[in-house]
Amino acid sequence: MATFVFRRLLLAIPTLWFIASVIFLLSKLMPGAFGSSSLGQQEAGYYSRSDAASREHNYRQFLEATGQDLPLFYFSITSAALPDTLHRIFPERDRTFLKKLSWQYGNPMAATHFFRSLKEFEKVLSETERLQVQQHLFSIYSHQEHAELRQALSGIAQQLPARSAITSELIVKGDNLLTDSSSYTYLLPSLQWHGSQNQYHRWIAGLLKGSLGTSLRDGRPVTTVLGEAVGNTWWLLLASIVVAALLALEMAILMIRRSGRIWRSTLLPSLFLLDSVPLFVLAMLLLVLLASPAFLQLFPVYGMGYYSVSDQNWLQQMGQWLQFMALPMLCLVLANLPYLTNQFYQAMAGVAGQDYIRTARAKGLSEHRVIRRHMLRNALLPVITLLSDYLPALVAGAVIVETIFAIPGVGRLLVETVLARDYPVIVGIVVIAAVFRLISHLMSDLLYALADPRIRAHAS
Amino acid sequence: MKKLWHIAREVWQLAPAFRLSLLYLILLAVVALALPWLPLAYGPNELDLEQIYQAPLAWGNETYKPRHWLGTDSLGRDVLANVLYGVRTAFAISLPVMVMASLIGLTLGAIAGLFGNRRLRLSRSLLTALLFALLPFTYYGIYLPIMLYSQGATYSDFLLTGTVAIGLTFVFVIVLAPLFSRIPFLSRTIHFPTDELLLRIIEVQTSIPRLILILVLAAIVPPTLPALSVLLVLTFWTGTARLTRAEMLRIRELPFFEAATSLGFTQKRLLVRQALPLLLGPVLVAFSFGLAGLLMLESTLSFLNIGVSTDLVSWGRMIAGIRTNTSAWWLVAIPGAMLSLTVLALQTFSYYLLRFLQHKK
Repeated sequence: MATFVFRRLLLAIPTLWFIASVIFLLSKLMPGAFGSSSLGQQEAGYYSRSDAASREHNYRQFLEATGQDLPLFYFSITSAALPDTLHRIFPERDRTFLKKLSWQYGNPMAATHFFRSLKEFEKVLSETERLQVQQHLFSIYSHQEHAELRQALSGIAQQLPARSAITSELIVKGDNLLTDSSSYTYLLPSLQWHGSQNQYHRWIAGLLKGSLGTSLRDGRPVTTVLGEAVGNTWWLLLASIVVAALLALEMAILMIRRSGRIWRSTLLPSLFLLDSVPLFVLAMLLLVLLASPAFLQLFPVYGMGYYSVSDQNWLQQMGQWLQFMALPMLCLVLANLPYLTNQFYQAMAGVAGQDYIRTARAKGLSEHRVIRRHMLRNALLPVITLLSDYLPALVAGAVIVETIFAIPGVGRLLVETVLARDYPVIVGIVVIAAVFRLISHLMSDLLYALADPRIRAHAS
Repeated sequence: MKKLWHIAREVWQLAPAFRLSLLYLILLAVVALALPWLPLAYGPNELDLEQIYQAPLAWGNETYKPRHWLGTDSLGRDVLANVLYGVRTAFAISLPVMVMASLIGLTLGAIAGLFGNRRLRLSRSLLTALLFALLPFTYYGIYLPIMLYSQGATYSDFLLTGTVAIGLTFVFVIVLAPLFSRIPFLSRTIHFPTDELLLRIIEVQTSIPRLILILVLAAIVPPTLPALSVLLVLTFWTGTARLTRAEMLRIRELPFFEAATSLGFTQKRLLVRQALPLLLGPVLVAFSFGLAGLLMLESTLSFLNIGVSTDLVSWGRMIAGIRTNTSAWWLVAIPGAMLSLTVLALQTFSYYLLRFLQHKK
């Protein structure tokens, strides 16, 4: 049995690695790192305008601290028309400009030189000089045609004759760019090797050590953020699946009885009806009906309570927890009841016609005994797999329910981080979800082996 | 086609619930198409800040404006117009997505089921050459067009890289395949595990719950409708593919199919002429079930305000409006009822279709 579990774990690792890597790399490919909008903003308000340089410095520090200034992967294949040091250029705006420049002229060397001298030039300008050449600078940054660049450069030379040294430097670099341009450089690929100093390497090394990085929003470790959230979701899911499974089982037993015709004709259609109500509509309906002052206010609406008293015994704590969890649990139970009941019923109906059931009935056993002792055991075997397959699907339900009822769990965390684009936490949640799936698979295998001696014999 | 019509007529006579659901769906389609000509007093995104949170059928409004029959939301947007235009959005997203997903699933599932793990024999040299050819194809066919698009290139540039992509791929395959076949290890032919490959891909993709996968990917792509549609297609094709594969495995063992194989028909003909007519039924059932799931998912996403822009008229958006004022029951009751009814109709439709198909077997 141990070898079986071990093999299963070993097989799951590549899947886990693949998914986590894909999500990580995809999230990094998107332009606009977290914070670039707030920290790197240059068009800030009137008061903060003067310290644009310090803002840029802060932003660069933030990027270095979070390792975002490193290349993404071990190697990269880019077009030869792009400079290899592009990932080191910050802020994002400058990077886009340099990318555009070198793509347009097909000469990364000349473009980088021109870009550097342009930055130098801008740095030494005083405020009045800047105003004089502002129009030309603007046309350099946004030009489409080669002629526009030429015109802007000569315009700058005319406007600022006093600064001939730095201006002539700029113009020389600009001329180089204009003369050495070639239009089909982009067709050639260029391969760069970055070695192990890259973001992916750091991330995967951290993952192996059990660290998922730090959240971009508040700088706390992702594992801490997740650890706070996982508990709530776990208990919510566990409690609702247990309740739903027990309820579904009892309902299936009611329907399978010979005298259960009336149950069959009422329960099945109403479950079918319930199944077509989306979870979020159901949750909102319950919220409006049972937790709003306009109708019945039986339950607290949001959250988990504002304060927790430490000197309560566990019974009182449980009571408070239940008070807040009742509605979310009710939603999840109601949403999952149709599917579960249907599956239980189908499984039992499949067994009901078999010979040994007829034998049991012929022996004169009571209906109760026949169903509970004989039918149930064999019918439940396939249901084990079903339940464990179903657990991950419940996680999706938890996302919706937690968001609506403001329960600080993983689902709500996911929605919040997606809206804030806090990628380390998102990747962490993906890893958690995949691990959860893996564990549920393992559990179903173990339970199956426990329930069926044949499988045990086969596996060992 | 004739057979489909025949099936439709037989199912029509089967159950009143089926007839009802079909009529409802047709009515929805007609309303969605005829919307521009309907005499609606308000547009779906029209704000009426003087009349916010109006209850449905509220009488005694002295204002000179036309009445909001089904009430308004927090910004005074008309519920009736939103619900009706919501039909349009819901189907405009879910129908094309489901059609694309079904096509992909049908193709991949049928191929995997037909060839299995042992029926497609390829030489290792060709496979290796194809792998190598993938490199220039990705660079010229995917990376460069994306870069060109983002840098605003002209039409001729796209044409150039497209030609280079296809040309280089062909050159790679034609030159490399004979070269590789000189090497003893690569010259042997192997069974290409089509089925195994498909199952692995599906397994990887379904190891994350669908909603979570979509939420995560929605954080990465820009919140536009085409991007969301692509995401939905990418996550929805697996169901149809699995079903088609299972059906194809069953069909492959049927006597008539064996007869057709022994007559020496080509694989393409086997697939299109012999298997496809039998596959269409189950795929249709999966289609309508998937459509119901997609409607729910789409409205859930717009309820959570993820992956869609806020000016997209949708049932989910309307229901989300109640979170700021829980006494406005009509904001959840009316769009929620529409959504649930539509899902119910689709599920009834597919349930009876499924029962009919099973019955016929």
